[in-house]
Amino acid sequence: MADKKKRRRADPSSDDEEDYGGGGRKPLPFKKRLKADSVILSELKDLTDSFRSSSTSEKTLTLSDLDLSSTCREVCDLDLSSVQDTIERLILRVAQSILSGNGFAFDVPARGNANQLYVPELDRIVLKDKTSLRPYSNASTVRKTTITARILQLVHQLCIKSIHVTKRDLFYTDVKLFQDQTQSDAVLDDVACMLGCTRSSLNVIAAEKGVVVGRLIFSDNGDMIDCTKMGMGGKAIPPNIDRVGDMQSDALFILLVEKDAAYIRLAEDRFYNRFPCIIVTAKGQPDVATRLFLRKMKMELKLPVLALVDSDPYGLKILSVYGCGSKNMSYDSANLTTPDIKWLGIRPSDLDKYKIPEQCRLPMTEQDIKTGKDLLEEDFVKKNPGWVEELTLMVKTKQKAEIQALSSFGFQYLSEVYLPLKLQQKDWL
Amino acid sequence: MEVGGSSESPEEPKKGKSRATKKAKESVLKQKSPAEFFAENKNIAGFDNPGKCLYTTVRELVENSLDSAESISELPVIEVTIEEIGKSRFNSMIGLIDRERVDEELYDDYESAKAREKRLAKEARIQEMQAKNAALRKKVKEPAAPKGTKGRGEASFFRVTCKDNGRGMPHDDIPNMFGRVLSGTKYGLKQTRGKFGLGAKMALIWSKMSTGLPIEISSSMRGQNYTSFCRLDIDIHRNIPHIHLHEKRDNKEKWHGAEIQVVIEGNWTTYRSKILHYMRQMAVITPYAQFLFKYVSDAADKNVTIRFARRTDVMPPVPLETKHHPSAVDLLLIKRLIAETSKQNLLQFLQHEFVNIGKSYAERLIGEMGPDFSPKMAVKSLTSQQIVRIHQLFRQAKFDDPSGDCLSPAGEYNLRLGIIKELHPEMVATYSCSPQVFEGHPFIVEAGVSLGGKDVKQGLNIFRFANRIPLLFERGADVVTRTALKRINWNSYKINQTQDKIGVFVSIVSTKIPFKGTGKEYIGDDISEIASAVKVSSIQQCCVQLKSKIVKKIQAREQQERKRNLSKYIPDVTAAIYDVLRETAHQQASKKKKQYEEKDTELLTKVSTRIVTEKTLREKLAQHVEQVDYEMALEYATQSGVSEEPREDIYIRAVEGAYDFIDFHSPVFVFRLFS
Repeated sequence: MADKKKRRRADPSSDDEEDYGGGGRKPLPFKKRLKADSVILSELKDLTDSFRSSSTSEKTLTLSDLDLSSTCREVCDLDLSSVQDTIERLILRVAQSILSGNGFAFDVPARGNANQLYVPELDRIVLKDKTSLRPYSNASTVRKTTITARILQLVHQLCIKSIHVTKRDLFYTDVKLFQDQTQSDAVLDDVACMLGCTRSSLNVIAAEKGVVVGRLIFSDNGDMIDCTKMGMGGKAIPPNIDRVGDMQSDALFILLVEKDAAYIRLAEDRFYNRFPCIIVTAKGQPDVATRLFLRKMKMELKLPVLALVDSDPYGLKILSVYGCGSKNMSYDSANLTTPDIKWLGIRPSDLDKYKIPEQCRLPMTEQDIKTGKDLLEEDFVKKNPGWVEELTLMVKTKQKAEIQALSSFGFQYLSEVYLPLKLQQKDWL
Repeated sequence: MEVGGSSESPEEPKKGKSRATKKAKESVLKQKSPAEFFAENKNIAGFDNPGKCLYTTVRELVENSLDSAESISELPVIEVTIEEIGKSRFNSMIGLIDRERVDEELYDDYESAKAREKRLAKEARIQEMQAKNAALRKKVKEPAAPKGTKGRGEASFFRVTCKDNGRGMPHDDIPNMFGRVLSGTKYGLKQTRGKFGLGAKMALIWSKMSTGLPIEISSSMRGQNYTSFCRLDIDIHRNIPHIHLHEKRDNKEKWHGAEIQVVIEGNWTTYRSKILHYMRQMAVITPYAQFLFKYVSDAADKNVTIRFARRTDVMPPVPLETKHHPSAVDLLLIKRLIAETSKQNLLQFLQHEFVNIGKSYAERLIGEMGPDFSPKMAVKSLTSQQIVRIHQLFRQAKFDDPSGDCLSPAGEYNLRLGIIKELHPEMVATYSCSPQVFEGHPFIVEAGVSLGGKDVKQGLNIFRFANRIPLLFERGADVVTRTALKRINWNSYKINQTQDKIGVFVSIVSTKIPFKGTGKEYIGDDISEIASAVKVSSIQQCCVQLKSKIVKKIQAREQQERKRNLSKYIPDVTAAIYDVLRETAHQQASKKKKQYEEKDTELLTKVSTRIVTEKTLREKLAQHVEQVDYEMALEYATQSGVSEEPREDIYIRAVEGAYDFIDFHSPVFVFRLFS
């Protein structure tokens, strides 16, 4: 069924468009402007090729290549035995300190806002090297210190047994002490930072959140996965990236989608068969696994990444997390960020360009406008004049719209008209 | 007795409908007396249903009594009694013989065989559930009292008595003061408690509608050697009193004041808490009054007696009558003022009948009015057009704001004492803002914020007062409720909005309170002047005062709890550390030897030979905690100075008897010097 439909759609001479499509009897706006799929495809192909040739010549910069005024902290993947060793040495130091009657303290890297630095040359956020002392004998830090010690012990056990657990598992080992998961999660990041390794090296993983579908074949723990044959839901992105390998693809680009709803639409319409691509979503704020996976795809397959997010400050924020990293995980931004993501849509200027009806636009709340204005001050927005322009427009018009606003022209408008047209016009920033 | 007939159906729409059908039949021009109007629209005066009627009757009588006592600068002593009257007693009161039901099926609450079966089945089911719950030791709510027992006709009646030590009333005025609606002593521009000038009259109308029994008034004025006794009801159609008995009796106790007794239909069960809340809140805002509230019924366990003791004998000054502010008058009011004025010419009229118009300013205004105005022109000869011109100018011209001197706020001192007396909070802060103006009427906002206390719920407890009477209904839309709930960031004052017992008291006094809605039960949230006065200049000010106290208290508590907190985690942390040590030592012994420093190797050996155990770590850490705690306690002591002795609130009662004294007032205390 799907194949038949696909062929029909791919037929360049189809003038009887009114017969099918989301709009029903009503012609879809801008549909006439759409060139034949083959034309768009060939243009896209050229683009991908040029992207490949340019990216091979370029070597990715690292922190050590730069001569920054302030030293920065970066972590690297460590194998299990060295993680174990680091913990043991740390604990020995602590035990000595206790036995000598001085109590003890952990020296934890500060992960607050003040200790973050955006490096334009790298286009990502890195952590500066400030640390704060976490003494046991202080009413305000005693709890955190205890939790830190407990997490260290739990990770030590994982190293000895060489198994993986989820963050949730970790939390449930001592609910009484941790009280709620945000506390154990935060300390886990502290511990990773303190030991100088990535969070994955601690053998603690997050539950699967992201999904991928489309023209991608990879191996997950030895099993070959073909993402075109994963049904409508797609393949869940595996939590430990070290099990993923052998990526192959004939896609022309990676389409990053903010939300589940738009993802399902594209997956069901098999958008990736009309325009060969890989569709990824993390269903909102991206988790570590999805970010690692996206970076791996981009680096190994050398494909351009196009992002489809809501036209609101949070959409851009999510985009920035993929691109420049989050402040929470800035210590590992080298592994987590995917450089050079293009903002395809939905951009504030699209609202008028695609004549999205008023009833589908929402007024921005005070909070939205504040977030928008704050974003305008962020370095990772400033470096891209196109983004600044769009965001300024958003704050000025005080209107936002979700990807679903396009459904006002029919549920399939997104996959049938909007995205093809965007690709045809190479309308990304 | 048409009105009496209509009281059977208290729902408004029904009445409206019947009137409309009547209108269709005969379109004769009819006139309605004010009493009739209020009898038909009694909801606008707070007489919506029997329960609310009982509540409103109590509050109208209490507020009248307070006004009366305050007007002669007497510390109010008020006794309120609500006595439940059973049906048979009520019947005997009105001379009706109790009749047994003969035709059972005639009655609304008759239970047919089928209905009874259903009810019994339901009751059995409920009992079964309860037994189950009891077996599971679940806490269940008391089963709601079966509602079916009280039928539609089974009204409950109450005798409401309110006795005060106020001014009393002149013997000959009593009939008109109670038997004529919209006649009163409180009309005029000043801060008053009464909202419509209806007061006791509405209670009388309601008693006439529900029971048909008259009102009884005893009254005596200072220095009078007799008491006036009057029993009367009201002729609703003619709006005149109908006197049953009006006589002078002996006044042996030299009592002055008034005692009013009225028998009405009501509902104690549903409005019990409202009435008690009202009395309590009244006690908060009027700490210089003494209230005795009694509820008497046949069932002794339902009886309530509460005494709200006097906590201070400083009364706020009596509010002064003031003149209108030019920006707050309308055409009609100007015409009335012209009709009533004793001044001859326009200049004098402007100068003396309004506030904030001086002589020179009046002259400038007259000049601005146009060529057909002159200062010397007779004010009574102004044409309608000319009055419109004056009104226009009043609206556009600039006037100084009216002063708040005519207002009589409760005062921070009294508000504070009232809060302390009724809630016994752990902490309280009060603040009184300077007078502000809304539409030509001055207003003062006073606020108190308390933390903790007796009989206070967790979270926000909001007490609203307007012109020193509590507002209990329609709290959701009120400016105070909204401000406290939405616009105050309690966290920033270290107050937990959901956990702490917070009392928020806001009292607004004004010559005109901008009430919203017909019931005059709340002040709208749309007046920015009032909203900001409530938020910025009162509640927040209280919070700022509280914050420093709270911070100190938290510090003191931390001081006390530090050692406990630090010790609490010792087992957890040492267990974790020791576990890693043990594993390390185990691996060290069994497998590959890692390179450690000498002292670390030594430690690991000690661990594997059990010279160093978890207990060792625990003891060492405990020692350290002890030492740190000692050092910090020393530091705290040197910083905070002398340790604070536990303080206790004391209240010294006023000396009995009459002494000469001088009061020295401050917003927070009064210093009294006896000669």
